Amino acid sequence: MIRVSHLTKDYQLGPNTFRALHDVTFDIEAGAMVAIMGQSGCGKTTLMNILAGLDAATGGQYWLNGREVGRFDPVMWSHERNRTIGFVFQNFNLIPTLTAMGNVELPLIYRRVPLRIRKRRAVEALEAMGLGERLRHYPMQLSGGQQQRVAIARALVGDPPLLLADEPTGNLDAATGREILKVLQELHRTGRTVVVVTHAPDVAGACERVLRMQDGRLRTALPGEDSDELE
Amino acid sequence: MSWSDAARVAWHGIWGHKLRTLLTMLGVVIGVAAVIVLVAIGNGASSAVTSRIETLGTNLLFVSPAAGTSFTTAEVPYIRQNVSLAERVVPVLDSGGKLTAGTTTVAAPVVGTTPAYADLGSLHLAGGRFLSSVDAQFGRHVVVLGASVSANLFGHSDPVGQSVALLGQQFRIVGVLNPVGQGPGTSQDNEVFIPLSTAQALLGTNGLSLVMVQAASASQAALVDGWLTNLYTNLYGSPSAVNVQSEDQVLAALSATRQTFTDLLAGTAAVSLLVGGIGIMNIMLVSVTERTREIGIRRAVGGVPEDVVLQFLLESMGVSLTGGLLGIGVGVALLRLAPLILHSPAVFSPTSVVLAFVFSTVVGLGFGLYPALRASRLNPIEALRYTG
Repeated sequence: MIRVSHLTKDYQLGPNTFRALHDVTFDIEAGAMVAIMGQSGCGKTTLMNILAGLDAATGGQYWLNGREVGRFDPVMWSHERNRTIGFVFQNFNLIPTLTAMGNVELPLIYRRVPLRIRKRRAVEALEAMGLGERLRHYPMQLSGGQQQRVAIARALVGDPPLLLADEPTGNLDAATGREILKVLQELHRTGRTVVVVTHAPDVAGACERVLRMQDGRLRTALPGEDSDELE
Repeated sequence: MSWSDAARVAWHGIWGHKLRTLLTMLGVVIGVAAVIVLVAIGNGASSAVTSRIETLGTNLLFVSPAAGTSFTTAEVPYIRQNVSLAERVVPVLDSGGKLTAGTTTVAAPVVGTTPAYADLGSLHLAGGRFLSSVDAQFGRHVVVLGASVSANLFGHSDPVGQSVALLGQQFRIVGVLNPVGQGPGTSQDNEVFIPLSTAQALLGTNGLSLVMVQAASASQAALVDGWLTNLYTNLYGSPSAVNVQSEDQVLAALSATRQTFTDLLAGTAAVSLLVGGIGIMNIMLVSVTERTREIGIRRAVGGVPEDVVLQFLLESMGVSLTGGLLGIGVGVALLRLAPLILHSPAVFSPTSVVLAFVFSTVVGLGFGLYPALRASRLNPIEALRYTG
C-alpha cells in the first residue's frame, strides 16, 4: 500500500537547514494497522504530512498503491487524497458553519457526486458511526467523541482504502479515546489500511505494528518492545 | 467541484454572515443607487435646457455691455435704426430685491423691462396682465410675479390686485405667470417683472443690463448677429466692448456646463461604487483569514485551489450583484421621489442601470479576485494548523 524509501525532509530556517527526516524507509502492506510513534518534534507529523501529500519530501521516493506519488503536484495530490486517503485529525477539523451532514459530504462534493447520492451516502456514513440522530447538528452542538466520529464518517464516506489518523484520541478523555480506538480497529478488521500517528502507548498497543521515530530517524519495533522507552 | 455546488458553498458563506454581508452590500447599494439617481438628475437638467431651446426658438440675440461700457436706454432706438432686420428690441435692467407680503419675505431677481418682453414668446400668464405701455409711461409701481414667487408669497390664493413691498416701495400685483420649470440660468418662475422706467427711477440709473433682439427666423438671426457685432465694433473701435450672443450660443454654453455637472455627478457616484468595492475586498480578506482552517480542511479532503478560488469569487460576486440589484431598486424608487424633493425633473436613463449593473459585476470580480487567489494559495498544512 505504502512504500517509502530514503525519504528526507529539510526545512530552511533563516540561514540554517534543519533536517526533520533522515533517510526514512518502510513499507506498509494493504490492510495493516500501523502506529507511527514518537515524542513531539521527532518528525512524525512531518512524515504524516508527506504521506498525505500535503507536504513534499526533499529527497527519496514515495509509492502509494504502486504509483510514485512523491512527484505529484498539488492538484494531482488533491485528486489522489480525495480518492485514496481518509483523514482524521486530533482537533477533528470540522467546518463549524456546516452541519454533521454538510461536513461528511465534503469529499463527495469535490468528487462531483450528484446531490441526492451524496446525501444518502453521508447519512449512511453517519449512521454507521451511530450518529443517525445527529445529522442536522452543528459541531458546536456535539461532544468531542461525537465530533471525532463525524470526522471519521467524513474520512470514510468516499470509501478510501487508506485511513490516516493524526493523534485521533489526543483531544478526548480516556473512555472516549478508547471508543474511537475501537472504531479504528473495527475499520481495520473490515480491510482498510489504517495509519495512526500517536504518542500514546495504549493507541500504539492497539496496532499490529509500530514505527518508532526519534530525531527524524526510524526504528521499527513490535508492540511491547522497548515499551520502557515509550514516553 | 461543480458550479452548482460552488454556488451553494458561496451562498452558505453569504447567508452565514447576514449582518456583515448586508453592511458590505450597502457600499454597492449606495454606489449603484447614486449612479442611477445622479445620472437621472443630470439628464433632467440637460433635457430642461433642450426644451427651453424649443420654446424660445433660436432667433433671439443678447446684446450686453462689457464692464465700463456705457449702455443706456438710448441703445434701443439706436439698434432699431441701424439694424432693420431686428423685429423686436427689448431692454432689460436686472437687479435683485426682497418682496414682502404680510409676514412673508421672498428674495427674487427683479427684471425691469418694457411691455414688448411679452412678445418674445416665452411668457405665459396664469392670471391678470403683463406690464402695459401706460405702466411704462408713468413709471407705475406694478409688478408681475413668476409662478414660484407667487406660490411662496401667497400659496394658492390669487395675488392679482394685492400689494407687495419691493425696493422700499409698495407695488401692486397686476399679473402672475404660468410655471415653466427649470431652464438655463435662473428660472422665470423665480423672477418678478416691473416696468423699466420704474426700475431705473428706483435704482437711480439710466443704464441697461442687456438688450434682447429678436429676428424673424433663425437664419435672419445670424445676419442680425453680424450686423450688431459690426455696429458696436465700429462704434467703440473694439469687438469686446459690447458682447453679442445668440440664444443657442448661450444654451450651448449652459449645456456644456450641465454636461460637466452630469459627468461630475457620475464620477462622484463611480467613486462611491469604487469605495464599495474596496469594502468588499476588505471583508473578503477578513473572511479568508477567518476561514483559513476551513480552506485547509477543504484542501485536505480533495479540494483543488481552483475550487477555493471559485468559492470565494462567487461569494464576492454574490454580494456585489445582490447589492447591485438592490441599488437599482433603491435608485429607481428614489427617482420617483426626486421631483418632490428636488423641484427639478429627473430623467431616468436605462443605460445607467446597465452601467451600474456592469460596474457592480466588475467590482465583485475585480475586488474579489485578490482575496480568492490569496485563499487558494494558502499552504494547506499551515491552514490546518491555523488557530485564529
